[in-house]
Amino acid sequence: MTSPVLAVVTPQAAEHVASDIPLSITLLFAAILVALIVSLALEEKLHAKKSLIVGLYAIMSLLLGAILLPLPYGPYLIGGHEMSMPVYIPAIDWGVITIIFGASLFVDVTSRSGLFTWIAIRLTKASSGDPVRLLWLYGLMTVVFSAVLNNVTAMIIVGSLTAVSLDKLKRSDKLLGFLLVEGLLTNIGGLLTLISSVPNIIVGTAADISFVAFFYRASPFVVVTTVATLLLGAKLFGLVGLADEDARAEARSLVAGFDENDGIESRGFFWFGAAMLVLFIVAIATTSVMPFVSDLGMGFVAMAFAVVMLIRYKNDVDQFYRAVDWDLLGFFAALFVVINVMEHAQVLALIGQGVERVVDLGPTLGTGAVMVATAAFSSVTDNIPLAAMLAKIISGMPLAEGVVRPPTDPLWWAVIFGANLGGNITPIGSASTLVAVTIIHKHGLRLSFGGFVRKALPFALMQIAIAVLYLLWVF
Amino acid sequence: MTSYDHRSHGIGVGKVDQFESVFRAAVKTRFEYSAVQVESVLVVSDRDERGAAEFGDRVRTRLAVLKRGENIRWRIVHGGEYDSVPALLELVEAERPGLICTYRHLHSDSWQWPYTLGEYIDVLTQVTSTPIMVVPHPERQPEVGAVRGTKVVMAMTDHVMGDHALVNWAARFTAEGGRLVLSNVEDASALDRFIEAVGRIPSIDTDSTRVAIVDRLERDARDFMQSCSEEIVRAALPISVESMVAHGHHLTEYSRLVEEHEADLLVMHTKDEDQLAMHGLAYPLAIEVRSVPLLLL
Repeated sequence: MTSPVLAVVTPQAAEHVASDIPLSITLLFAAILVALIVSLALEEKLHAKKSLIVGLYAIMSLLLGAILLPLPYGPYLIGGHEMSMPVYIPAIDWGVITIIFGASLFVDVTSRSGLFTWIAIRLTKASSGDPVRLLWLYGLMTVVFSAVLNNVTAMIIVGSLTAVSLDKLKRSDKLLGFLLVEGLLTNIGGLLTLISSVPNIIVGTAADISFVAFFYRASPFVVVTTVATLLLGAKLFGLVGLADEDARAEARSLVAGFDENDGIESRGFFWFGAAMLVLFIVAIATTSVMPFVSDLGMGFVAMAFAVVMLIRYKNDVDQFYRAVDWDLLGFFAALFVVINVMEHAQVLALIGQGVERVVDLGPTLGTGAVMVATAAFSSVTDNIPLAAMLAKIISGMPLAEGVVRPPTDPLWWAVIFGANLGGNITPIGSASTLVAVTIIHKHGLRLSFGGFVRKALPFALMQIAIAVLYLLWVF
Repeated sequence: MTSYDHRSHGIGVGKVDQFESVFRAAVKTRFEYSAVQVESVLVVSDRDERGAAEFGDRVRTRLAVLKRGENIRWRIVHGGEYDSVPALLELVEAERPGLICTYRHLHSDSWQWPYTLGEYIDVLTQVTSTPIMVVPHPERQPEVGAVRGTKVVMAMTDHVMGDHALVNWAARFTAEGGRLVLSNVEDASALDRFIEAVGRIPSIDTDSTRVAIVDRLERDARDFMQSCSEEIVRAALPISVESMVAHGHHLTEYSRLVEEHEADLLVMHTKDEDQLAMHGLAYPLAIEVRSVPLLLL
């Protein structure tokens, strides 16, 4: 499924994608793409926001593209009408942008109802303060929140609660282990639904995978890997249950001090938020089969729910607009522009030839190699441009002449699994693990880049191994 | 610190802090009830034996509440038994009472001037860990007429949350069927000073910050007081509990509250861990409020 705009625009624009671009020009643009990926990998050294880095490359690509390439300037045929617009507007996948914008706004407003903190505190109480039960409940909460909200928000909510509750339980010595396991589980939970992570949205949209189909395919892996990660986490970080009744009674009394209702400003808004969250999940899950709504897409659903939630704060909506991650949205917009130019410069076709060679290794070795390579690249560079690029490349690799790859094709899933799990190898592999490290450092704990890799590698290797087996077995 | 560290410190810090605040606010300190045991009372007077005995009788009448379930040992000290602060401290050390009961300006005529508590109480409150009950000077209070009991006891503080001892002592001294008034008055001048600084920081909204701070302080105090009320009911104490939370000028607010509630006894902390003098709130209050007995912890 592509966004409605692109679905109409692409055939018109495709006519402009020339296949006789000189190799020297293709290589020049390939060098720009490599430079972009390197710049994103070195983002922390550049001390610059992603949107600015990619924005500069988008400007450079467009300028050089205008000089050296036959870019499709339009007019564009939309709904039978010719429309003029700048070439970089149809280059952007607005379906992806609107899903991210709407969903993040919806989650931000819903969090003000106190719903997420209520759930988090109820689970804390349910643990009775036992460290092992706490790890399991927080781990499960991380996975579910990552799936329903997004992995960064999930890490922020669960990570901050972990810091406060372990401090209350006088177990701050276990904070690093808890946060690390939770950080790693955000990327597992990020695999549960189509909207749980950006690579899912990008690849799922390109592969036309429905929400339900995505969940059906991914959930068994998520369940198995979550259990394995928690078992390994408890073992490696030395978490054991409370030994005697006195310790259990003290822990119970300490967590009983949490008041889950403290963050609820209005009981009515709390229930409204809960109902809207359930409806949001149902609506997103059924978008593809809902009459009329299916034509408008998931982006419409996400934005519609965000707008309805904003009614509660009708006089203060600007505070939520300010809280939107404009850096992320600017990054996506610029990234889509760069990739579009690369497509016209035949760079994607060139990379596609390399990917084809890997795929040609066979259904087992080829698919596994694509997954492992995607995970390896995702661990050191941003998985979003990688997913966007690979989605575009795989779209251009039909199974046979005129036969597109179905949503169940293992190649799509190799990219989805690899892009998500690669984030667990290094702290810069995903935004949510970086949030985990932020909380670790905020609480005075030392964890270097190498230290993170040493602690996370056993988990990441285990998860990738399970994913490869699952991919080859199920698909 | 590597650049990796710089980056990691910048990701989502604001949001993390926001959620940590939400969760910290959800951690409630609940009042822990514990029955206060007073086994002996040392009544210190500067009168002769007869005068001291009369004073002792009045104290005993006033503290009828202590008879509740306990067999109290009373020791009356008359003025001839000590003539200096060290001598009185020796007496206290020898007796090791559970409560000292006395009045301002022992062995002095300065009680008429409301500027100090007198050297004996000044030193006693800081040197001993024994609670001291300061009743109005015998010269100030007529020797005739009914002595008031402790039907209305007011616990006074500017930070009630977690102050289990203050509430337990105040509850112990509240007579059967009486009212325990828990009061928490935040000092407006201290808050104003911080808000004034906030007002000079462009990135912080001054008005909303003031509202948020006052709201948080008052809410924390109310939540703790609510738990006090619940625990006292659970302990089946024969008293009722009321809560007062306000912010303003300490002396003005407390004077108003004492008058409004017609308090029979004020309970407050006097120890200040940071200085060798009486707690910042307690001293001016103890000076100002001279007609109502004080229990200084």
